[in-house]
Order: sequence, then structure tokens, then C-alpha cells
Amino acid sequence: MDSFKKHKKILLWTLLVNILLVATHLGEFWPFSIFPMFSQAGKEWSRGVVEQVEDSTRADLWDTKPISEIEDRILPLKDYGIHEIDFANFITKTKVWNEKRLNGMRSTFQIDQHPGEMWLATRVRGYMDERDSVVIEAIPMFLFTADTTIKNPHLFPEP
Amino acid sequence: MMRILQNLFQFDEPDSVGTKIQLRAFEFFAVTYTLIYTWEWAFYIPRLSDVVLPLGLANYIDISVFFTNGISIYNAVLISLFTLIPLLFKRVRWLYAIAFVLFHLQHVARFSQGEIPHSANLVAFSLMGLGLAALFFKGMKNELSFAFGFTLFFFGLGYTSAAISKLVATGVTWVDGYHLWLWMGEKSIDILSLQGEFQYNWLQELAFNSRFLATLILSFGLITELLGFTIWFKKLRPYIVIMLIGMHVGIDLTMNIFFKTFSIQLIIMGFFWNRYINAIPGVEGLNEHPLVKKILLY
Repeated sequence: MDSFKKHKKILLWTLLVNILLVATHLGEFWPFSIFPMFSQAGKEWSRGVVEQVEDSTRADLWDTKPISEIEDRILPLKDYGIHEIDFANFITKTKVWNEKRLNGMRSTFQIDQHPGEMWLATRVRGYMDERDSVVIEAIPMFLFTADTTIKNPHLFPEP
Repeated sequence: MMRILQNLFQFDEPDSVGTKIQLRAFEFFAVTYTLIYTWEWAFYIPRLSDVVLPLGLANYIDISVFFTNGISIYNAVLISLFTLIPLLFKRVRWLYAIAFVLFHLQHVARFSQGEIPHSANLVAFSLMGLGLAALFFKGMKNELSFAFGFTLFFFGLGYTSAAISKLVATGVTWVDGYHLWLWMGEKSIDILSLQGEFQYNWLQELAFNSRFLATLILSFGLITELLGFTIWFKKLRPYIVIMLIGMHVGIDLTMNIFFKTFSIQLIIMGFFWNRYINAIPGVEGLNEHPLVKKILLY
């Protein structure tokens, strides 16, 4: 039974380190975690998709629309080696869209390697409406073309 | 406390072939998945340019150095050496402890973009357990049985703390089927973004049509997670493991997230494979087979 004393000691010390690290690092110090995924239920959520654009002069380009309207124009990110969760986080968690962050997005997602394409980075928002139905809407953010990045004028009005 | 320790660390027949195979299977699994994650991340990290969310040690060091000069590749080479040498040669096993720290750095470099995934957590706990075992115990038998029990402890703690997080953040109303509808919508967007198309499956359609069914699905998940700590007890272990695997299949069907690594590890660790193997006639002879003893066993 003597050997279990050592087991107990190591286990309790590791547990203490675990508690101290997660308590001081917002619940995460990998692999220590309080495993908070999906803990906040019923909240509005945000994700991201990329819409393929054929005509950038389209009248409704910058309008917020139901996801069903753009479903058949979504770029399959797996074909471009882009990690969809990284993309969603990039677009939903960035608070200040300065030039550095926009260029970071271009390089992380290798947008410049596809010069013939026009990609509309789109935030997708989901929530329950007053009739208890799930509403999912697409909010265009940035249009990436071969050499320019154009911000949605409704969200980022020129000063 | 002593009862929990015995349940976690004591094997019925510690020197039998069955126990040796199960413990080495656990070790081979831990190293294999450490290497799979390490190399997958190594080739993705050079694409990153900016730290969106620093995690773990990235709060204290500039982890963006991993983004350039092939640092993530060199780190992967070191992790490979520091895990394969102790696994295959069964010596300098303290290298596992260094491999764990390097694995942590590889993880926080890869996941500096805002996502906090947990799929590799138990692989990391296994590696940490192997490292601690090598530092504090002598002999493969003692080391492996400690690492195995250590990982089981964090398996149970992880699932139960996940349930407590839900109860603290939302309360018992967490199980309301409406919440599942919202999450199914959310995950459908991730699949749409990944594949360019998405169709709800039969279970998702059923859950959308019945708030009661959706509530039942979430209730089963919450109760199963809450009971996760019972994996610490041998008598209950196979039952909770079956429930946990069932929960993961349910999560896959409803939210399109499959915890493959967790499920494989649960299968390796959650059943008494040592007893089943020992029941095979003549299996004890493997203990004397030179090649098997040298590579597979100890």
C-alpha cells in the first residue's frame, strides 16, 4: 500500500496545479480545462462562410440575407485547404479590423493564391426568434479580389 | 480515497500477458496520436501569421516564432524522437515529460486562432502521465499502471466538470430541446462552410420536429457527462464507457462533431481487455517469446 501514497501525492499535486492554472487562465491551460464547450445554452451564435461572387456590382451584395439565399454559392473551404473553424473564429472574434488583421486574413487563408476569384467573407448569425424558430442570417463583411479588400460600406462607413 | 486509488491503479494480474498488452496498447495509442496531432499541426502552423487568442504558455512567450523558419517542423521532429525512443526502446522514458511540454507548445501555436478544441486533451494527459510515471516510478509495470490510472482519473474529472460547467453556466434548463435546435443550426454552418453543401440527417430532422425528443437527447448527454467520474470505479467502468461512447455517437449524429480519439481511447481503457486476453488458452506463452517480449511487452 506504500506505493499508493506516491500515487496519491502525484495525483493531488497535479490536481492542485490543474485548479490553479484553470482558475487563473479563464478555465483553459491545455490540457487542463474546465471543458466549458456548449455550456452557455440558448445564446445567439456567430460563424463564418465564404460566398463565391460572380458579379461584384450586384445590388444586394452588401445586404444581410437569410442563409438559404446564398447556400448554393458557398465556397467549400476544404478544397482550398482552409480550416473552417479558424476562418469562423477569425471573422467572429476579431474586434478591430485594421490593415494588419485584414492582411493577416489574406495570408492565413492564402487568398492571394487564387487571383481569378472574388470571395465574400461572410459572418453568419443564428438566434431564436419570438416564435421559437431558429433564424440564420448571412452578413457580408469583406470582398476579397485579386488585389483589393473592400469592406461592407453598411458596417464600415467611410469617415 | 484509498478505494479510488485501488480502482485506478491496481490491476488484478499485473504480470499477466493480458495486462501487459492492455497497458502497452494504451502507451502505443498515446504515442501514435501524439504524433498524428503533432505532424498535422506542424504543417498547418507555418500558414499562420497572427495570434488571435493566446492559450497556455502562449500567454507568456511569443508563440508566433513557431509560425516561421520551420520551427513547428523541428519541434515535431523532437516530439517524434522523444516519444518513439521511450516507446520502442523502453529506456530514457523521462523523455516523455519533455515531449509533453513540446506538445503543449505545438498545440498553443496551432490553436492561437481563437478555436479551443479539446479533442487531443486526453492524449496529452496520457503523455503527461507517462512522463510523470517515468520521473517518479521505477520499472515498466509501475510506470504504465500509474499512467493508465492517471489518465482514467482525468477522463472522469473532465466529463464531470463539463457537466458542472453546463449546470453553472445555464442551469438545469440546459437540457431544453430549443438549445439543441440552435446548436444544430450552428454546426450546420460549419459543415456548409467546409463542404459547400449541407443536409440535415434523419435524427436532426426528428429532433427539429420534436422539442421533447431534442430535450431527451440533451438530458441523456448531461446525465452521462455528470456520471463521468464513475469511470474511476472498476465495477461501473464498462457501463459508463458504453454510455459515453453512445453520447459521442449522439453528438456526431446531431451536431456533426465526432470525438474519434476520445472514443478509441475509451474503448482501449474502459474494458477489461486484460481479463479477456488472459482467458485465451496458451496466451501466457507470449511472456516467454523473445521477440514479443522485446518489442510489444516488457
